[in-house]
Amino acid sequence: MQNKLSGSAVPAQATRKGPWRKFWSLWNEKTGYLFVLPSFAHLILFLLIPLGFSLYLSFHDWNSPSFAGAPFIGLENYEFMMGDLRFWNALKNSALYTLMGVPLGMLFSLALALVMNMGLKGSYFFRTLFFLPVVSSWVAVSVIWITLLDPNAGIVNYVLSLVGITGPNWLGDPAWAMFSIVLVATWKGAGFSMVIWLAGLQGIPKDLYEAAAIDGAGPWQQLRYVTVPMLAPTTFFLLITGVIGSFQVFSPVYVMTKGGPLDSTDVVVFRIFQRAFEEFKMGYASAQAWVLFAIIFVLTLAQLWYMRRNVEKTFS
Amino acid sequence: MKKAILATAALAVVTAAMVSAQQARVTLRVQGFTSPASEIGTPLDLAKKKFIADAQRAIPGLTIRSEESPPNEAQRLVDIAAGTAADIWYQDASSLAKFAASGNLLDMRKCLPLVPALKLDRFWPNVLKIHQQPDGAIYGLPDGFTPMVIYYNPEVFAKYKVPVPKADWTWNDLVRTAQLLTVDKNGRNATQAGFDENNVATWGFRVRKFPFEWVYRLWQNGGDVLSPDGTTASGYLDSPASIEAIQFQQDLVYKYKVAPKPTVLDQMVQQLGFNDRFLTGDFAMFDRGHWELVGLRASKNFKQGRVAVVGQPRNKTNATVFYESGWVINKAVERDPAKLKAACQLVERATDVGYQQTKAVTGLEISGNRIAARGAVAAAPDPAVERVFVNLATAGRPPYGSKYAFYPAVETILDSMMDRILRGAPVAEQVRAAVTEINREVAKR
Repeated sequence: MQNKLSGSAVPAQATRKGPWRKFWSLWNEKTGYLFVLPSFAHLILFLLIPLGFSLYLSFHDWNSPSFAGAPFIGLENYEFMMGDLRFWNALKNSALYTLMGVPLGMLFSLALALVMNMGLKGSYFFRTLFFLPVVSSWVAVSVIWITLLDPNAGIVNYVLSLVGITGPNWLGDPAWAMFSIVLVATWKGAGFSMVIWLAGLQGIPKDLYEAAAIDGAGPWQQLRYVTVPMLAPTTFFLLITGVIGSFQVFSPVYVMTKGGPLDSTDVVVFRIFQRAFEEFKMGYASAQAWVLFAIIFVLTLAQLWYMRRNVEKTFS
Repeated sequence: MKKAILATAALAVVTAAMVSAQQARVTLRVQGFTSPASEIGTPLDLAKKKFIADAQRAIPGLTIRSEESPPNEAQRLVDIAAGTAADIWYQDASSLAKFAASGNLLDMRKCLPLVPALKLDRFWPNVLKIHQQPDGAIYGLPDGFTPMVIYYNPEVFAKYKVPVPKADWTWNDLVRTAQLLTVDKNGRNATQAGFDENNVATWGFRVRKFPFEWVYRLWQNGGDVLSPDGTTASGYLDSPASIEAIQFQQDLVYKYKVAPKPTVLDQMVQQLGFNDRFLTGDFAMFDRGHWELVGLRASKNFKQGRVAVVGQPRNKTNATVFYESGWVINKAVERDPAKLKAACQLVERATDVGYQQTKAVTGLEISGNRIAARGAVAAAPDPAVERVFVNLATAGRPPYGSKYAFYPAVETILDSMMDRILRGAPVAEQVRAAVTEINREVAKR
């Protein structure tokens, strides 16, 4: 081998790296791996292993403490689920909750964000106020709303009565119970979505509005033709995360209605909870959880595909 | 030589003493003897602490680690799977079958030769049956129980001049009595023309969807939910006798109009708790167990003379259910003979008259020990009420949850079924749907 600088030959031994040099040359990569090791270990221990175990369980009939003795039953849990009307009713309710809650939540929080973005006096205070429900405990919020929604003594029906409307039995009427849960969830989650919308709004270049104003666009036209299209990435983010989160609703149902009245608020995660922790059918509950995962995954993929097609079209 | 023999003898004595001391030192982890923070210092809390102290003194080498019970049974199952469950715990009969089926409970018959003082005849036979399995095994021993009875407010009966119910009353008596006591704001009762069911001042009865409050109504009419072997609900839940009993529950709301509809009841109790409504005369009668006395007596509306109880009305029988809790021993204790003996001794002491009598102060339940239960009557705040419960100790049946590990799934189905029926759905159709679903569940197990 020739030394490129001096042109003299380099002895053969000098080209072979010793163990220390070999290790030292890989050290930079190793350092990177070492930095991510704690997070990776956490991911494996608290996410991947439980996920894998849950998948394993879904093919077993585990309803006794020792899973070592749980018999392998193949796809029986999944087959049983096909005829489990209660599960499909819960899935229908979860879908209904999503169809009502996601658009309502997005529109309401967008309206809040638009107002906050106007830079009015006190907007920082109100921004904090609207975010407070987000950081409140679901249990505390649910208990308070049970009182607020009381058909006779609750403030909601009282306010409605002032304008001549007789409020329904919000949590006791099967026709209104799910809508009540949606309302509470919208109120609680609006602050978080508002902050995301605000970030999106503040990323829209001001010159677009100036150009629109010069072209004679009024406020509504600016909203429709500038703001909304420019918020597309934010919209899709909130839509995707909203759908994922809505299919996993549990806390307000558990505290406020326990799936009733007449199973009208029985949602999938509540059903899984009942199967796992009240009926001790861990294997079957795991199978239900994986079916829920598959449904959410497919919906998310569909949304991503739609987003890719339409956002690319918009910006191409 | 002499020195060698003496040294060997001394060594043998010391070794035996050490071995004996080690064998005698036993630590038992026990759940069921702690009190929540709000009850520290109460008579029951003091009784529990005294029990622990006395047991440690009486059983040589025993140390008791008293722990809080887990917040739910799922946690206990996890503890069992992890091998960290307590040695002895207080188990509700409604979920006993689950634990018995898991194979993690000790058959208490193994305690009988170890602890001669433990005699099964100290317990009410019908209550002991809760812990007995078809193969004769006994998982746990009774601590306290209650039959489900009908509570009534004598003041309401006096107000409307209706005779109070007697022990041998019937379903027809219940309906008639409830109708006379269901009075609207114009003073008309449910038997009178012009009775306004939308404007009721006093309701004669309360009916709810929860199976634990109506499942014995089926038994009273000769019906049942499941076959004895628990393999089917066909021919049992949908038998004419069972359907008739379920129809009776619906008729109390819609035909006889003596009980409010579920939505009306929900609204009423949201405004004012049910116990207060009962004590102030909004309700004349309702089904419940002994535990309700605690809440009723704690209410500011409680007065002597506002609470009385009577056994269940009869149709074909006057069957009722026992809800009960008892002491169970972890099967893992068996591995250590000294620990097994100590655990058996502790359970013997916990179910003996001594502790059971001191525990009677709570008023939560009737003692599973016959002598203690009878002795508690005279000392009870209301001996007449207590006597009714004790007299029913021979008339009850075990709850389904003590026999069928899969019962929680069945209970969910029964709950939904009755919810629909109490909201007006046709009984036969709902029962048929429930039977189909229950059969599917039991076939899967």
